Amino acid sequence: MKRKNLLIVILLAAFAFGLGLLANSIIQRRAESKVLSYQANKLNPFESVNEKWEEFYPREYQSWKMTSDTTFKSKYHSSNIVDLLEERPEMVILWAGYAVSKDYGTPRGHYYAIQDVYHTLRTGAPSDTSTGPQPGSCWTCKSPDVPRMMNQVGIEKFYGSKWADFGSDVVNSIGCADCHDSKTMNLTITRPALVEAFQRRGKDIRQATQQEMRSLVCAQCHVEYYFKGDNKYVTFPWDKGMNADDIEKYYDTVQFDDYVHKLSRTPIIKAQHPDYEVFELGIHAQRGVSCADCHMPYKSQGGIKYTDHHISSPLANINNTCQVCHRESEAVLAKNVYDRQDYVYNLRNRLEKQLAKVHLMAKFAWDNGAQEAEMKPILQLIRKSQWRWDFITASHGAAFHAPIESQRVLGDGMYYAMQAEQGINDWILKKGVTAKFVMPDISTKAKAQQYIGLDIPKEKAAKEKFLKDVVPQWLQKAKEKGLLITKN
Amino acid sequence: MSPSSENIKNSRTKKRYRFIIPVLLGLIIGLIGFILYISKAHSYLSDDPKACINCHIMAPEYATWSHSSHGRNTVCNDCHVPHDNFVRKYYFKAMDGLRHATIFSWRAEPQVIRMLKPGETVVQENCIRCHDQLNSVVSTAVTAKQARHGEGKLCWDCHTDVPHGTKRGLNSAPNARVPLAETPVPEWLDKMIKENKHTNKD
Repeated sequence: MKRKNLLIVILLAAFAFGLGLLANSIIQRRAESKVLSYQANKLNPFESVNEKWEEFYPREYQSWKMTSDTTFKSKYHSSNIVDLLEERPEMVILWAGYAVSKDYGTPRGHYYAIQDVYHTLRTGAPSDTSTGPQPGSCWTCKSPDVPRMMNQVGIEKFYGSKWADFGSDVVNSIGCADCHDSKTMNLTITRPALVEAFQRRGKDIRQATQQEMRSLVCAQCHVEYYFKGDNKYVTFPWDKGMNADDIEKYYDTVQFDDYVHKLSRTPIIKAQHPDYEVFELGIHAQRGVSCADCHMPYKSQGGIKYTDHHISSPLANINNTCQVCHRESEAVLAKNVYDRQDYVYNLRNRLEKQLAKVHLMAKFAWDNGAQEAEMKPILQLIRKSQWRWDFITASHGAAFHAPIESQRVLGDGMYYAMQAEQGINDWILKKGVTAKFVMPDISTKAKAQQYIGLDIPKEKAAKEKFLKDVVPQWLQKAKEKGLLITKN
Repeated sequence: MSPSSENIKNSRTKKRYRFIIPVLLGLIIGLIGFILYISKAHSYLSDDPKACINCHIMAPEYATWSHSSHGRNTVCNDCHVPHDNFVRKYYFKAMDGLRHATIFSWRAEPQVIRMLKPGETVVQENCIRCHDQLNSVVSTAVTAKQARHGEGKLCWDCHTDVPHGTKRGLNSAPNARVPLAETPVPEWLDKMIKENKHTNKD
């Protein structure tokens, strides 16, 4: 009896000991997981200097740096700046009265965000912090210095300041800290507007899955937005929905316009770059594909796989993008893309010309004594039409991201533009205006800009002075603050 | 020694054992409960791919799958456990799971994780299960057994990169972000938005 009991105790004790060891092993393994998920890097929170991340994430950093490569060209797009006003002088007419009529080029890689915002004529040539046309809001999407500064000075104060106020603080181009938490390297949202837009729609962005985050980090910037109120609060107009019609309804409700057209006096909504919204309406988004799946595919280097941070056109890398899912040849896949783009661009080109014509015809009507009440319905049609044209045009990838939606929106735009023309013709007929409408010569950017009364040589001279005198000061100060390692 | 004193001693030792044995049993039950809890044992009954990265050494497999064409509409279990009947599915899961758990606990994982024969059989079955209707090319349906006898090839003998890519190894995806239950909004921004009374309501 005694021995038997002793044996039982020994066996039970040994078993408990074994279980304890197992539990210990599991705890250790889970601790490893925790350590692995927290990065052994020495990065500070809000570390905005991209170069400092290279030491810990050399592959990701170096591929990010490749966004400086401007050599890629597809049928309609380029990774370099293409002067769109030169290619399409009608756009100068459409934007008469708004800064983009001065200068509008296709976007370059993230690497150039700061340089390009210095160089564009749209930001003007501030000589000190109290001058210049643009608010602090214009920095919002240009740099990982922005969340750092917002944390320092407050969101509203950041937006409400002058652009030049942060000249020596916002100096590093869009990079690591814009999308990554420096402690965990998880994807993170660093721009308030997206979080707020989600909140207003009753959604919690914290519930987003990893796959959704792979698009949402892009949606912090690649979206339609406007500057709300006097302190230029960056706001996404998503309260009523995210397609062109719903956003238009929102803007109509809050009676917002970006500018009043200089020639036709139309209150215009300027579309920014509704890339995310349009993408969400396309088949790839509907099948669960994220931005990063095609724009940042997996890449191998030796025995290591990592996400390619050289964000560019998937057409530059069909092998690792389209062909992960589609088994067709590269030539066939490229043709599939170009076919869709051809159809959309065809319609867009026609609408662009038609819109320029109706703006000029509206001016003709004003010049011949048209009354506000007579013009109001016509201007509403022009507003609707141009919003639709711009929604698809400013979303550079729209033609492929959502070809059917793009054609629907452009088709509606064309319908409104044709109605506007009809309205003006009816007015001309009714009033018996004897003068004839003649299209002015707007065949080049220079002619069109001169026609709408822009003094580009003067703007350029001021810009050159700004680049020579002001920018080097900003950079010098930034270096003194330790914010800048290389001079861009 | 009188018989009565022996009786007393006996009952004392008895009392002692009566005390130790239940304590040990309680300890064991408690430990088992603790182990089930910290190993997230319940998660293994599900088909959630996150269960497979309870062990971090599967992170590269998870990362490569989620970046692949199979990352949207399939999960680990769609390929790696049998689906012809319930009993076989859970038997296979139990055997495979216990083997993995044992290797992991003994820190005996190889640098490159490779499938064993039973795994191959199941994966080949599952390739055919989905793709014989989607893609008539595989309607000939070579089984893993036939392939081992040289009567045909396994799907991934040719499709070597489906779905985990051609680079294998515990270190093959060092910076892969496999989903962790953490909020994507950083604390400072969350706090600021809460403090900031600007709610932007229209």
